[in-house]
Amino acid sequence: MTFDSNAFLIIFTGSLIAISCGFLGVFMMLRKMSMTGDAISHAVLPGIVIGFFVSGSQRSLEVIIGAGLLGILATLMIDWLRKKARVQLDASIGITFTLLFAIGIILINLLAYKVDLDQECVLYGEIAYLPIDSWITKSGLNLGPRITWLAALNFMFVVGFIYLLYKELILTSFDESFSSVMGIPAKGINLALMSIVSYTTVSSFESVGAILVVALLVVPPATSFLWTKSLMPLLKLTAVLGILIALLGYYLAYWFDSSIAGMMVTVAGIFFGISVLIQGKRPFWAKGTSTVNQPFGI
Amino acid sequence: MIKQVENPILEIHDLTVSYDQNPVLWNVDLSLPGGNLVGILGPNGAGKSTLIKAIMGLISPTSGYVKVFDKPLNDVRARISYVPQRESVDWNFPASVLDVVLMGTYGKLGLFRRPGKKENEIAMKSLEQVGMSGFVSRQISELSGGQQQRVFIARALAQQADLYLMDEPFAGVDMATETAIFQLLKEMTEAGKTIIVVHHDIHSAMNFFDWLIMLNLHLVASGPKELVMNEEMLRKTYGGKLNLLTRVTDLIRQQDFNPLKS
Repeated sequence: MTFDSNAFLIIFTGSLIAISCGFLGVFMMLRKMSMTGDAISHAVLPGIVIGFFVSGSQRSLEVIIGAGLLGILATLMIDWLRKKARVQLDASIGITFTLLFAIGIILINLLAYKVDLDQECVLYGEIAYLPIDSWITKSGLNLGPRITWLAALNFMFVVGFIYLLYKELILTSFDESFSSVMGIPAKGINLALMSIVSYTTVSSFESVGAILVVALLVVPPATSFLWTKSLMPLLKLTAVLGILIALLGYYLAYWFDSSIAGMMVTVAGIFFGISVLIQGKRPFWAKGTSTVNQPFGI
Repeated sequence: MIKQVENPILEIHDLTVSYDQNPVLWNVDLSLPGGNLVGILGPNGAGKSTLIKAIMGLISPTSGYVKVFDKPLNDVRARISYVPQRESVDWNFPASVLDVVLMGTYGKLGLFRRPGKKENEIAMKSLEQVGMSGFVSRQISELSGGQQQRVFIARALAQQADLYLMDEPFAGVDMATETAIFQLLKEMTEAGKTIIVVHHDIHSAMNFFDWLIMLNLHLVASGPKELVMNEEMLRKTYGGKLNLLTRVTDLIRQQDFNPLKS
């Protein structure tokens, strides 16, 4: 088989998105907030529409800022409903994101004459068109696919964020009140995490779509968690799974002539299913008492 | 019987805390001297945990204020440590015993910096003090309840604070460990630290604490053990719970504890 640069680009971009989502997903899972990721990925819609309306372009900074703000708003709303209005977490998530998503749809309809944007584009996305959507500078220089650049930028943000705030993320995930007593701003860290999740959602929605972003946020971390109980291996395994999912997803989609993003998530689901079966069947003596010597790797 | 002190290490002024308009703590007004082992006693639902959470600013009071080391709370956070109830966290979290104890050093490290050799040594020493050095690399999900409790105490020790607030640190801990930890806390108070412990066992409270706070929505008593540990205060605190009271009087008799003598 000859080297297919398009295939490589799609797999490469897919891996970047899957790893970014996976890393964030690990921390969302540790905070028992996986479904908040789901909420955010839908709640950013009005922000995208408003950003689009203001700037007139789907690729502008305003869109990202709008989405980021809406992501934070969704987080705050969920938190407020839960703590102040005493609604259960799952209910407050359901109320918040459906409401914001509905507002987004109404906005799209109201502004339809001005906005070249539809729900499908946000919900599904299509990574297969990535090679034909190049980033061409004014002087006519072709720098390669735009979405790949976006995904790479996002990947760097996510890795940088986790690297810099590693210990704060761990501490606030494990024991929020202890960190507050120490003076580490648990709420601020939480909002920072939520904004980077919003940003990741927006920069990925063109390629894999909002629904499938959720799958990438939840499934790979949950799969890794079945295999390991320490954080560093958990992150590494999530990254490896991300690459495998992109690789297998692409070739299976190619084979069946189907959606790449859809196939990626199906592969993720299969990995998860296999892990559950293996871990469920393993006799108790094979699990044993773990002897992990490395603390967090810091 | 509320004894106020000069130059208190902790001053609580007219503190009222309510959940949903229902006050759970009324007008608590007390001051504590430094270098003491302080016990908070009271029946279930008396507001013991609420009181220490309000001291640490985890719950905002309806009225009143708290001053620690004669300063507002936010200026002295690095000097305050907290041992939460064991059930307050998920022990399936992917971390080892050492990881959790190292968390105690995060506050002093500040943003972006990682714990290094020095922090590791502090953590190891803290684990040694609670007798858990054999479990350094054990996953926290594989610990027993008492061991988890000791890990939490080690984490607080690693913080090297001056004021420690502990919420039921002896729940699920066996007698031998309890005595050993009390001994450790005693040594710490001798070194000038102040430790406030929410406690439910009146018997061991009589043996170990220097200063007692008795709480039942209102502040019933706050003062040196010899002054406040008497039948009247206990009846006011645990009021009406006859069964318990008989047991308490029995205990007092066994201990040959006569408040009139002192």
